[in-house]
Amino acid sequence: MNARAVVIDAGANELVAAHVLARRGWNVLVLDRTAAHAEGGTQAAGWVAPAIVRDLELDRHGLEIQRPDPWVTAPVADGARLELWNDVTRSAESIRRFSPNDAARWPAFCEQMSTLARALEALSMAPPPDPMGEGVGALAELSGIALRMRSMGRQGLEDLLRIVPMPVADLLDDWFESDALKGVLGAAGVLHLHQGPRAGGTTLHFLQNHVGCAPGVFRPAVSNLVRVLGALPGIEIRRDVDVARIEVRDERVTGVTLTGGEEIPAALVLSGADPRRTLLSLLEPGWLDPEFVRTLRGMRSRGVVAQVTLTLDRAAGFETLAIAPSLDHLERAHDDAKYGRVSQQPYIEARAGNPGVHAHVQFAPYALAGTSWDDAHRAALAELVVRTLDERVPGFGARVTARSVLGPPDLESRFGWPEGQMHHAEPALDQWLWMRPTPDLARYRTPIAGLYLCGSAMHPGGWLPGACGYHAARQALSGH
Amino acid sequence: MSPRYDAIVIGGGHNGLVCAAYLARAGKRVLVLERRERVGGAAVSEEVFPGFRFSVFSYVVSLLRPEIIRELELPRHGLHILPLESTLTPLANGDSLTQWNDHDQNRRELARHSLRDAEAYEEYGRRMHQMARAVKPLLAMTPPDPASLHPRDLLGMARLGGHLRGLGSARFHELCKLMTMSSADYLDQWFECEPLKATKSASGIIGTLAGPRSPGTAFVLLHHYMGELDGVFRAWGFAKGGNGSVSEAIAAAARSWGAEIRTNATVARVRVEGGRADGVVLEDGEEIDARRVVSNADPRRTFLEMVGEKHLPAEFVAAIRRYRFRGSSGKVNLALGELPRFTCLPQGGAHLRGAISISPSVEYLERAYDEAKYGEFSSRPYLDMVIPSLLDPSMAPPGRHVMSIFVQYAPYRLNGGWTDARREAFGDAVVNTLAEYAPNVKSAILHRQVITPADIERTLGLSEGNIFQGELSLQQMFFLRPAAAVSRYRTPIQDLFQCGAGTHPGGGVMGASGRNAARAILGEGA
Repeated sequence: MNARAVVIDAGANELVAAHVLARRGWNVLVLDRTAAHAEGGTQAAGWVAPAIVRDLELDRHGLEIQRPDPWVTAPVADGARLELWNDVTRSAESIRRFSPNDAARWPAFCEQMSTLARALEALSMAPPPDPMGEGVGALAELSGIALRMRSMGRQGLEDLLRIVPMPVADLLDDWFESDALKGVLGAAGVLHLHQGPRAGGTTLHFLQNHVGCAPGVFRPAVSNLVRVLGALPGIEIRRDVDVARIEVRDERVTGVTLTGGEEIPAALVLSGADPRRTLLSLLEPGWLDPEFVRTLRGMRSRGVVAQVTLTLDRAAGFETLAIAPSLDHLERAHDDAKYGRVSQQPYIEARAGNPGVHAHVQFAPYALAGTSWDDAHRAALAELVVRTLDERVPGFGARVTARSVLGPPDLESRFGWPEGQMHHAEPALDQWLWMRPTPDLARYRTPIAGLYLCGSAMHPGGWLPGACGYHAARQALSGH
Repeated sequence: MSPRYDAIVIGGGHNGLVCAAYLARAGKRVLVLERRERVGGAAVSEEVFPGFRFSVFSYVVSLLRPEIIRELELPRHGLHILPLESTLTPLANGDSLTQWNDHDQNRRELARHSLRDAEAYEEYGRRMHQMARAVKPLLAMTPPDPASLHPRDLLGMARLGGHLRGLGSARFHELCKLMTMSSADYLDQWFECEPLKATKSASGIIGTLAGPRSPGTAFVLLHHYMGELDGVFRAWGFAKGGNGSVSEAIAAAARSWGAEIRTNATVARVRVEGGRADGVVLEDGEEIDARRVVSNADPRRTFLEMVGEKHLPAEFVAAIRRYRFRGSSGKVNLALGELPRFTCLPQGGAHLRGAISISPSVEYLERAYDEAKYGEFSSRPYLDMVIPSLLDPSMAPPGRHVMSIFVQYAPYRLNGGWTDARREAFGDAVVNTLAEYAPNVKSAILHRQVITPADIERTLGLSEGNIFQGELSLQQMFFLRPAAAVSRYRTPIQDLFQCGAGTHPGGGVMGASGRNAARAILGEGA
């Protein structure tokens, strides 16, 4: 019989990791906390990297990546709408109504961002570089990266080093003058981030969200990756079970124990739960070095997003509607969050789905000043969203028949997002590459032999669904 | 016939003077041209009101490189630094936090606020000391160009890589964190005491339009530990006679090696012939020949005004246009009839002889930043104050005092623009804020001088009033300062060099840019 591997949780990363292990002969059991696919959990936000599609033959199994076109519609004062399309020229036509200068610069902007995103894609689809790595292998790896970077040419390399750490507001101000355009683009720089567009490093996030998109498209794609992986044969998935403890003997993992007391022995455990939960809650205390624990506690994962689902009795009247009329709008919305308040004029991105409308609402911080999330907060937020959309789409409010709201604490309990943070560890410059989620854990290994981390907190982050799991599984295989 | 000068230095700010002194010391014939009637740039002392002398702009010496003090023999030329022993942070509730240079005194005071922080402070100090040691060699390094295949740059990259790897994992990762985190996030990992975190994080926002929660502000925390390393003086000091005496000492050193310094000499443009600089043209039409020209003016003035776009590649011009200044600070100088009495410590004493910081909490600073983001000056700003007359009585008439107040935020791009009325309103906001902590200050004021970023630009020629000749943000540091291709003190124009704070390592009264530039010109810097 093959050796048993247990994978904790059943999102895109965990399922990719499970399949990679299964294809190398492991007998893989996935333990999922949810009873069935939770609403929203079946869709993976983000593009799926070709290496994953190829290795798991996902094309043959019905992987579909949705690319809405136009990818965003933004209402502008006096009823006009800015529409951005998958086609660069068509977007430029729409932009021209607001600013001929911006329209003229659009193609060059799209090309430069595309080039930079390809460099980030290359970084994302390898394990994080380890500048402190010992030995010939590590040096070869570093030299490889250095060469790849140099091959971008002087201008490309300079752009990468200069642009990545910038505030996205500065980047956009360098290129454009139209508030409406800068607002919808800037939103991609702060999506799920506890930062405003004037914060350093938001350009990195903007570019990471662009990876895998067509030139001129600045929103992560959405795919049925989780559903496809769940249906793919080769692994066993047990649902509605909760892991209580990861068992360790002599600093080596021996299996897991479920909340009901059932013990499942395993030679390998990959946890998609966030690093703090995995190492500080599921492990017996005492296995870890205090300095290691201090660093882990310092990892930031502050959720700032609420999801509002509205049921309608008629069609929404739009595909994707972004309410981010300017960079200042985003910045002011974040100002509220800094002081523990839900934005009163939030950034909202509403997507018509089946049924109804799903709205991403930012900023709604996990930790509220002097209070905590309750039904009154949820109701007020739903009301705010309906009212805001009704102002932009005449008659919208009357179509709404039901509302449901997931605040950050709800996202935490439903999807296991720590503090409601989708990326598990905030994707900021100081939690990127070899510092993600902490320098000690950047290589997917933990201080416990046989225990690996495969969730979104790991490199490259939640931007590319499945990529963390892909790297983690390969790392685990090379360690075994 | 060979020109009379080996080098003309445009601008007699401290970096220009340092550069001139090093060049003269190496036997070069040097001429410094200063627009104003006195040398020093932002480091000047002036008798603004009869009997009251002020360090009008920059007001403390924190970072002046010890090797410069030593090599230019500045003490012999009149430099005398009086240490600032403490930083007082008064609080609204009548309490206060004073950070002392004296270890035991500091620990006792901190323990009064948080026993845990008093413990953590020891480790924090050790860590910062280690990190400052790790970073120090980078300050004196000519940044290598990562895109170049020139052996000099490859060697530089290898040396840089070797240095970083030599730090070992723990320090390397800490350095990465310090480069990328916000000062508030970084300090949150160590401390819980708000006034401590706020006062420390304030050093990360100076001169930059960023708040304590903005990523990239943690790095400046290290600066406080740089000066301490060499044991020459403690973290912060005050020059006897004001900061003008720093400039005068450097000027005296330069002159002692034969450098000429002309004041009231405004350079209109750099003369460029066949792609190389061969002299300057003054405002009155006088032309002066030189084998090379070194500019201490900031990159925007140097390239866009004095050189002119027609001599420069288009991409380079675009890069200089992109380079961000965004001055965000102002200055208020007060002549006082009596010392301020702080509600928290009304009896006066040693705490007044150090720095006084209005930075009660991180949120206070962040809110001050919020206003500036949208084009308003902070209604309740961050203030960093010193009372130089307590350390050097010659600064004010007997029994009277001068108070120097550094203020942030005062954005250059104020909504509606800076006018006389807005300047006074800004001055009022500063005085009102101070009066919340020291109520007698309003009646003690004999004279008040208010300086906005627009005034700094007009008086000193610093674009947008940025005191560091450009923001010290990640994308404007090291080999990206001021632009990738010209970070090595050279420029696209042959024989034209830069030596100002707009080059690595940047601002503060540090002198490192001037020294590094001189070394690059003399072919010594790697």
